[in-house]
Amino acid sequence: MTSFKILSCFKCLVAATSVAAVVGVGFLFSGFYPMGADDHHNDLTYWALQTLRERSVARAANDIQVPNDLDSSERLLSGGADYNDMCVGCHLKPGMTQSDFTLGLYPQPPDLTQAEIHQESAQVLARKHFWIIKHGIKGSGMPAWGAGHDDERIWNMVAFLQRLPELSSQQYQILSARGVDDSGHH
Amino acid sequence: MKPQTLTYLVTLPALMLALSAHAHAPSEHMKAGQAAAPDCSMMEDMDHSSMNMDDPVMQAMMKKCMKATHQDEADSHDDKTDATKPARHQH
Repeated sequence: MTSFKILSCFKCLVAATSVAAVVGVGFLFSGFYPMGADDHHNDLTYWALQTLRERSVARAANDIQVPNDLDSSERLLSGGADYNDMCVGCHLKPGMTQSDFTLGLYPQPPDLTQAEIHQESAQVLARKHFWIIKHGIKGSGMPAWGAGHDDERIWNMVAFLQRLPELSSQQYQILSARGVDDSGHH
Repeated sequence: MKPQTLTYLVTLPALMLALSAHAHAPSEHMKAGQAAAPDCSMMEDMDHSSMNMDDPVMQAMMKKCMKATHQDEADSHDDKTDATKPARHQH
Protein backbone atom coordinates (compact mmCIF):
# COMPACT_ATOMS: atom_id res chain seq x y z
CA MET A 1 0.00 0.00 0.00
CA THR A 2 2.82 2.38 0.96
CA SER A 3 4.86 1.53 -2.13
CA PHE A 4 1.78 2.15 -4.29
CA LYS A 5 1.43 5.63 -2.76
CA ILE A 6 5.10 6.46 -3.38
CA LEU A 7 4.82 5.25 -6.99
CA SER A 8 1.67 7.28 -7.46
CA CYS A 9 3.33 10.36 -5.99
CA PHE A 10 6.37 9.86 -8.24
CA LYS A 11 4.11 9.65 -11.29
CA CYS A 12 2.36 12.85 -10.20
CA LEU A 13 5.72 14.57 -9.85
CA VAL A 14 6.85 13.45 -13.31
CA ALA A 15 3.54 14.54 -14.80
CA ALA A 16 3.69 17.95 -13.10
CA THR A 17 7.29 18.49 -14.23
CA SER A 18 6.40 17.51 -17.78
CA VAL A 19 3.45 19.89 -17.85
CA ALA A 20 5.61 22.70 -16.42
CA ALA A 21 8.32 22.04 -19.04
CA VAL A 22 5.79 22.06 -21.89
CA VAL A 23 4.19 25.26 -20.59
CA GLY A 24 7.63 26.86 -20.16
CA VAL A 25 8.80 25.95 -23.65
CA GLY A 26 5.44 27.08 -25.02
CA PHE A 27 5.89 30.43 -23.31
CA LEU A 28 9.41 30.80 -24.78
CA PHE A 29 8.10 30.27 -28.29
CA SER A 30 4.93 32.29 -27.81
CA GLY A 31 6.74 35.63 -28.03
CA PHE A 32 4.62 37.05 -25.23
CA TYR A 33 7.53 38.07 -23.00
CA PRO A 34 8.24 41.81 -23.49
CA MET A 35 11.91 42.29 -24.44
CA GLY A 36 11.95 46.09 -24.80
CA ALA A 37 14.47 47.83 -22.53
CA ASP A 38 11.78 50.35 -21.65
CA ASP A 39 9.47 47.62 -20.38
CA HIS A 40 11.03 46.63 -17.07
CA HIS A 41 11.11 43.19 -15.44
CA ASN A 42 8.77 42.50 -12.58
CA ASP A 43 10.34 42.63 -9.11
CA LEU A 44 10.79 38.87 -8.82
CA THR A 45 12.52 38.50 -12.20
CA TYR A 46 14.72 41.53 -11.48
CA TRP A 47 15.72 40.15 -8.08
CA ALA A 48 16.48 36.72 -9.54
CA LEU A 49 18.65 38.14 -12.34
CA GLN A 50 20.41 40.55 -9.99
CA THR A 51 21.15 37.82 -7.48
CA LEU A 52 22.38 35.54 -10.26
CA ARG A 53 24.72 38.28 -11.52
CA GLU A 54 26.04 39.37 -8.10
CA ARG A 55 26.71 35.84 -6.89
CA SER A 56 28.33 34.81 -10.16
CA VAL A 57 30.68 37.82 -10.19
CA ALA A 58 31.55 37.40 -6.50
CA ARG A 59 32.42 33.73 -6.99
CA ALA A 60 34.41 34.28 -10.19
CA ALA A 61 36.37 37.24 -8.76
CA ASN A 62 37.12 35.60 -5.44
CA ASP A 63 40.64 34.39 -6.24
CA ILE A 64 41.91 37.39 -8.19
CA GLN A 65 45.16 38.85 -6.82
CA VAL A 66 44.99 42.62 -6.39
CA PRO A 67 48.29 44.45 -7.18
CA ASN A 68 49.94 46.19 -4.22
CA ASP A 69 50.56 49.44 -6.09
CA LEU A 70 46.93 50.12 -7.02
CA ASP A 71 47.01 53.54 -5.37
CA SER A 72 49.78 54.97 -7.55
CA SER A 73 49.66 58.21 -9.49
CA GLU A 74 50.78 56.56 -12.74
CA ARG A 75 47.89 54.11 -12.57
CA LEU A 76 45.46 56.96 -11.92
CA LEU A 77 46.68 58.87 -14.97
CA SER A 78 46.49 55.89 -17.29
CA GLY A 79 43.18 54.67 -15.89
CA GLY A 80 41.61 58.13 -15.93
CA ALA A 81 42.18 58.64 -19.64
CA ASP A 82 40.85 55.18 -20.47
CA TYR A 83 37.80 55.68 -18.23
CA ASN A 84 37.03 58.92 -20.04
CA ASP A 85 37.24 57.23 -23.42
CA MET A 86 35.52 53.97 -22.64
CA CYS A 87 33.24 54.27 -19.63
CA VAL A 88 31.97 57.80 -19.10
CA GLY A 89 29.03 57.49 -21.50
CA CYS A 90 27.38 54.87 -19.28
CA HIS A 91 28.96 55.39 -15.86
CA LEU A 92 29.14 59.22 -15.85
CA LYS A 93 31.74 61.64 -14.48
CA PRO A 94 31.72 64.30 -11.75
CA GLY A 95 29.16 66.97 -12.60
CA MET A 96 27.26 64.73 -15.03
CA THR A 97 23.97 63.25 -13.86
CA GLN A 98 22.67 61.40 -16.91
CA SER A 99 23.38 60.45 -20.50
CA ASP A 100 21.55 58.76 -23.36
CA PHE A 101 22.87 55.44 -22.08
CA THR A 102 21.85 55.89 -18.44
CA LEU A 103 18.38 56.86 -19.62
CA GLY A 104 17.99 54.07 -22.13
CA LEU A 105 19.90 51.03 -20.91
CA TYR A 106 18.18 48.40 -18.77
CA PRO A 107 19.39 47.44 -16.26
CA GLN A 108 20.60 51.01 -15.74
CA PRO A 109 24.42 51.18 -15.57
CA PRO A 110 25.70 52.09 -12.08
CA ASP A 111 26.79 55.68 -11.51
CA LEU A 112 30.44 55.11 -10.60
CA THR A 113 30.93 58.69 -9.42
CA GLN A 114 28.91 57.73 -6.34
CA ALA A 115 30.45 55.64 -3.58
CA GLU A 116 28.97 52.15 -3.26
CA ILE A 117 26.17 52.04 -0.71
CA HIS A 118 26.88 48.56 0.58
CA GLN A 119 30.34 48.85 2.03
CA GLU A 120 32.50 46.09 0.64
CA SER A 121 36.19 46.14 1.45
CA ALA A 122 38.42 47.91 -1.07
CA GLN A 123 40.02 44.60 -2.00
CA VAL A 124 36.71 42.88 -2.71
CA LEU A 125 35.49 45.85 -4.72
CA ALA A 126 38.73 46.02 -6.71
CA ARG A 127 38.46 42.30 -7.58
CA LYS A 128 34.86 42.74 -8.61
CA HIS A 129 35.58 45.79 -10.77
CA PHE A 130 38.52 44.05 -12.43
CA TRP A 131 36.49 40.99 -13.28
CA ILE A 132 33.54 42.98 -14.64
CA ILE A 133 35.75 45.24 -16.81
CA LYS A 134 37.67 42.27 -18.14
CA HIS A 135 34.78 39.88 -18.78
CA GLY A 136 31.73 42.14 -19.13
CA ILE A 137 28.18 41.25 -18.12
CA LYS A 138 25.86 39.25 -20.36
CA GLY A 139 22.72 41.03 -21.55
CA SER A 140 23.55 44.32 -19.84
CA GLY A 141 25.46 46.35 -22.42
CA MET A 142 28.72 45.98 -20.44
CA PRO A 143 31.37 44.70 -22.89
CA ALA A 144 34.33 42.46 -22.09
CA TRP A 145 37.21 44.92 -22.38
CA GLY A 146 39.68 42.12 -21.75
CA ALA A 147 39.43 41.18 -25.42
CA GLY A 148 41.50 44.20 -26.43
CA HIS A 149 43.17 45.35 -23.20
CA ASP A 150 45.79 43.64 -21.06
CA ASP A 151 45.38 43.11 -17.33
CA GLU A 152 47.66 46.01 -16.36
CA ARG A 153 45.54 48.44 -18.30
CA ILE A 154 42.39 47.11 -16.65
CA TRP A 155 43.97 47.41 -13.20
CA ASN A 156 44.73 51.04 -14.02
CA MET A 157 41.04 51.61 -14.60
CA VAL A 158 40.25 49.83 -11.33
CA ALA A 159 42.71 52.15 -9.58
CA PHE A 160 40.96 55.16 -11.05
CA LEU A 161 37.52 53.84 -10.05
CA GLN A 162 38.65 53.64 -6.43
CA ARG A 163 39.27 57.40 -6.34
CA LEU A 164 36.56 58.53 -8.76
CA PRO A 165 33.77 59.18 -6.17
CA GLU A 166 35.91 61.74 -4.36
CA LEU A 167 37.09 63.69 -7.43
CA SER A 168 35.81 67.15 -8.31
CA SER A 169 35.00 67.91 -11.93
CA GLN A 170 38.25 69.92 -12.24
CA GLN A 171 40.33 67.10 -10.81
CA TYR A 172 38.59 64.66 -13.13
CA GLN A 173 39.32 66.86 -16.14
CA ILE A 174 43.04 67.01 -15.37
CA LEU A 175 43.41 63.30 -14.60
CA SER A 176 41.41 62.08 -17.58
CA ALA A 177 42.71 64.46 -20.28
CA ARG A 178 44.95 62.65 -22.69
CA GLY A 179 46.55 65.79 -24.06
CA VAL A 180 47.93 66.10 -27.56
CA ASP A 181 51.00 63.90 -27.01
CA ASP A 182 49.07 61.03 -25.47
CA SER A 183 47.39 59.37 -28.39
CA GLY A 184 45.75 56.52 -26.52
CA HIS A 185 44.01 54.33 -29.04
CA HIS A 186 40.31 55.05 -28.86
CA MET B 1 -8.45 78.55 -45.47
CA LYS B 2 -8.26 75.24 -47.26
CA PRO B 3 -7.62 72.17 -45.08
CA GLN B 4 -4.61 71.29 -47.26
CA THR B 5 -3.01 74.72 -46.64
CA LEU B 6 -3.68 74.39 -42.94
CA THR B 7 -1.97 70.99 -42.94
CA TYR B 8 1.14 72.47 -44.56
CA LEU B 9 1.18 75.34 -42.08
CA VAL B 10 1.12 72.97 -39.13
CA THR B 11 3.31 70.17 -40.49
CA LEU B 12 6.21 72.16 -41.92
CA PRO B 13 7.07 74.15 -38.75
CA ALA B 14 6.70 70.98 -36.67
CA LEU B 15 9.06 69.11 -39.01
CA MET B 16 11.65 71.90 -38.94
CA LEU B 17 11.47 72.06 -35.14
CA ALA B 18 11.96 68.30 -34.87
CA LEU B 19 14.97 68.34 -37.20
CA SER B 20 16.69 71.16 -35.34
CA ALA B 21 16.15 69.70 -31.85
CA HIS B 22 19.20 68.32 -29.99
CA ALA B 23 18.79 65.94 -27.07
CA HIS B 24 22.02 67.05 -25.46
CA ALA B 25 24.80 69.54 -25.91
CA PRO B 26 26.88 68.64 -28.98
CA SER B 27 30.02 68.57 -26.82
CA GLU B 28 28.63 65.48 -25.09
CA HIS B 29 28.79 63.69 -28.39
CA MET B 30 32.41 64.39 -29.16
CA LYS B 31 34.03 61.67 -31.15
CA ALA B 32 36.28 59.39 -29.16
CA GLY B 33 39.91 60.25 -29.63
CA GLN B 34 39.42 63.99 -29.68
CA ALA B 35 42.03 64.58 -27.02
CA ALA B 36 41.46 67.43 -24.61
CA ALA B 37 44.33 69.25 -22.95
CA PRO B 38 44.33 69.25 -19.14
CA ASP B 39 42.94 72.48 -17.70
CA CYS B 40 45.59 73.24 -15.10
CA SER B 41 44.37 76.70 -14.15
CA MET B 42 42.94 75.23 -10.94
CA MET B 43 46.42 74.08 -9.93
CA GLU B 44 47.86 77.56 -10.42
CA ASP B 45 45.21 79.07 -8.14
CA MET B 46 45.70 76.51 -5.36
CA ASP B 47 47.57 77.23 -2.15
CA HIS B 48 50.57 74.94 -2.63
CA SER B 49 51.35 74.84 1.10
CA SER B 50 47.97 73.23 1.78
CA MET B 51 48.42 70.50 -0.84
CA ASN B 52 48.85 66.96 0.41
CA MET B 53 51.70 65.78 -1.78
CA ASP B 54 51.40 62.24 -0.42
CA ASP B 55 48.01 61.90 -2.05
CA PRO B 56 48.31 59.96 -5.35
CA VAL B 57 45.54 62.10 -6.87
CA MET B 58 47.52 65.27 -6.17
CA GLN B 59 50.73 63.64 -7.42
CA ALA B 60 49.00 62.58 -10.62
CA MET B 61 47.60 66.07 -11.19
CA MET B 62 51.02 67.64 -10.64
CA LYS B 63 52.62 65.21 -13.11
CA LYS B 64 49.96 65.83 -15.72
CA CYS B 65 50.15 69.61 -15.39
CA MET B 66 53.94 69.75 -15.35
CA LYS B 67 53.99 67.65 -18.50
CA ALA B 68 51.40 69.91 -20.13
CA THR B 69 53.34 73.05 -19.12
CA HIS B 70 56.59 71.68 -20.53
CA GLN B 71 54.78 70.72 -23.72
CA ASP B 72 53.41 74.27 -24.04
CA GLU B 73 56.87 75.75 -23.43
CA ALA B 74 58.41 73.46 -26.02
CA ASP B 75 55.71 74.39 -28.53
CA SER B 76 56.20 78.13 -27.96
CA HIS B 77 59.98 77.67 -28.25
CA ASP B 78 59.51 75.83 -31.55
CA ASP B 79 57.27 78.65 -32.78
CA LYS B 80 59.92 81.25 -31.93
CA THR B 81 62.64 79.19 -33.60
CA ASP B 82 60.51 78.79 -36.70
CA ALA B 83 59.88 82.53 -36.79
CA THR B 84 63.63 83.32 -36.79
CA LYS B 85 64.42 80.76 -39.50
CA PRO B 86 64.49 82.03 -43.08
CA ALA B 87 61.45 80.91 -44.94
CA ARG B 88 62.02 77.91 -47.15
CA HIS B 89 61.09 77.71 -50.79
CA GLN B 90 62.00 81.32 -51.38
CA HIS B 91 62.63 82.03 -54.99
